[in-house]
Amino acid sequence: MNIRSNMALKVCFALILLLVGLTFFGCTGIRSSPEGGTGGVIADGTLFLCPSLKQASGGFGCAAPQMEGKLVAVDTSNGNRLWEVSLEASGPSGGGFGCASSATPVAIYGNPAVAGDLVYIAGYNGRIYAISASTRLSTDRYVNETNPHPIIGGPVVAGDVVYLASSDGKVYALDTASLEPVWEEPFETGGKIWSTPAIDGDTLYIGSFDKKLYAVDTATGKERWEKPFETEGAIISTPLVYDNTVYIGSFDRHLYAVGAAGGSLKWKCIAGSWFWAEPVAYDDTIYAPCFDGKVYLLDAETGNKINEFDLGSPISSSPVLVGTEIIVASEEGKVYALDTGSNQLRLISELGEMVYAPLCASEGVVYVYTGGQNLYALNLESGVKLWILTIK
Amino acid sequence: MGIGDIWNLIAMQPMINTLIVLTHYLFSNFGLAIIVVTVIVNAAMLPLTLKQVRSSRAMQALQPKLAELQKKYAKDKQKLAQEQMRLYKESGVSPAGCLLPLLVQMPVWIALYQSIMRVLAVIPENLLGLSKYLYSWPIVYSTLPLENHFLWLNLATGDMLLAILVGGTMWVQQKMVMTPGADPKQQQQASMMLWLMPMMFAFLTLSFPSGLALFWVTSNVIRIGIQYSVSGWGGLIKSAPKKETDRDKKYKQRIAEVEKAPEGADIVAPSVTQEEGLSHEESGSERQDRGGGYPKSIRAIRRKPRRGGSHRRKGG
Repeated sequence: MNIRSNMALKVCFALILLLVGLTFFGCTGIRSSPEGGTGGVIADGTLFLCPSLKQASGGFGCAAPQMEGKLVAVDTSNGNRLWEVSLEASGPSGGGFGCASSATPVAIYGNPAVAGDLVYIAGYNGRIYAISASTRLSTDRYVNETNPHPIIGGPVVAGDVVYLASSDGKVYALDTASLEPVWEEPFETGGKIWSTPAIDGDTLYIGSFDKKLYAVDTATGKERWEKPFETEGAIISTPLVYDNTVYIGSFDRHLYAVGAAGGSLKWKCIAGSWFWAEPVAYDDTIYAPCFDGKVYLLDAETGNKINEFDLGSPISSSPVLVGTEIIVASEEGKVYALDTGSNQLRLISELGEMVYAPLCASEGVVYVYTGGQNLYALNLESGVKLWILTIK
Repeated sequence: MGIGDIWNLIAMQPMINTLIVLTHYLFSNFGLAIIVVTVIVNAAMLPLTLKQVRSSRAMQALQPKLAELQKKYAKDKQKLAQEQMRLYKESGVSPAGCLLPLLVQMPVWIALYQSIMRVLAVIPENLLGLSKYLYSWPIVYSTLPLENHFLWLNLATGDMLLAILVGGTMWVQQKMVMTPGADPKQQQQASMMLWLMPMMFAFLTLSFPSGLALFWVTSNVIRIGIQYSVSGWGGLIKSAPKKETDRDKKYKQRIAEVEKAPEGADIVAPSVTQEEGLSHEESGSERQDRGGGYPKSIRAIRRKPRRGGSHRRKGG
């Protein structure tokens, strides 16, 4: 064994160690760049969706992130792409050796909101976009001009105001036409906000990483409740407002029912893991999908468990109510219909791809956007795939 | 169960949940949790690290002799290899001794590295992925997602000052390990590497989350401490080369006589007072007490009884 230099040997070994580490980094699915990918929103036969950004291999176990986001309009009747608008990232791109990039990718997580001709989307780059469906002209601005933060939740439109929350922990109300702030000051919480607000009447409900659920006056941006409702875990899911009660899932594995008027606890129910997806209510029953792979059926008034269905893998995609059926998809791509009358679960389709994005449905067809960047149109009755559109 | 599942079960899950629980008890401070876990892991690895440092140091102590052998058998590679192996054997040094502990430690470092990256979960995709690693302890669920601010750092993004710290501590550690070599070419190579690695890691630090860099800095500081405890400041503080004393000359003369003497000859060993005054070839180099550095024939020496019974020499 000819060892010329012990130092050289050690350095070589350290380099190998580093490369192995980087390879591990690249092979274990730890992403460094946001990908996003929304569910669809349907208006007048057109489905609006922002696809996920895929990472291309960048060598050294790194991935080169795609920077440019887009809004795509799809004809729901035949799956044809009607048009798309590119959302360019500002600042230089390119990762270099260390995989980093100085520009923020325009990844979109929250579903678009449609109001008239305008489609609103909020990006990870901290900008809100208002895009005209007829002219494809776009207006955009940083929600927080001085200190932009990623926006994970989606915007919600009520009247002439678009509401959204940001990772800076603030809730913003912007004029739908000009995107100028409506409130004197944004409403501030004690932690990041990743969830989409829920609006009921003149009250906005939002959960925060500070483990609290807030009720905010939509007109003034002031807090409605005497004090926010506190859980024991961060809140990421979107609240559901049903029959004067706010239902909210938390990272502490509980689903809470809170009085909409005063913010007092009505009941809580524990599950096996996080609640990420938004629950659905129908006929005094709450259908709460959970990360433990189960859909919990709970009495809306008492919180008593009526039933539970195990879908076999975590549920992060929000379900949708179609007629009397709840359509829900598991992360591993199985789409089910849960009959609210008989409480029977029916498998509609096995897509064989990961599903994270919320589902949407219209006229007996459910639309599922998968991690494989495919948009599926499934007939609810037969489970037949009516069309598949790859949106990259 | 695939290899990935086994890896997750025995390495990732314990590490991730430990990090989260520690964060909870350390004032919801993830930066502190990273430091504490790094200290715990280093403490658990201490026997292996010490073995590696000592082996590495013993290897370095042999460098002058290896250089001599290389010079002597430059044209006969086979003989060179044989002599080198003989030298290792006689010195009780295994070349693999430096690498084996590193190999054993590697999975632990990778697990810690991956855990930090996962637990930081700054984007929704990573937070979604984190759920499958969590134990069903209420404390884990209520602690997530973690706050990623520590001191001036956003643990999820790169930081210039931390990059300098990573590079600086790595340089110090490597400099401590370095000893002056006989071969100028070797010396030049070592000097180049001394700068290359810290600069590379500093550059990577700018690109990776600071949480990982915090782990690197803490590890480097611990390694500096371990290195110091084994060999002092080593190559970090230059010491003036000692002048050859009369005793050194006598010692070399004596060794030469022993090597010339026929095998099995009965030679009287030098007295204790003579031994105690002997200086070594280099300051800071480890003395081989296992007889490795001496010619075989010296083992046949009939020793005079020692006063006080101590075999230790001063200095060294």
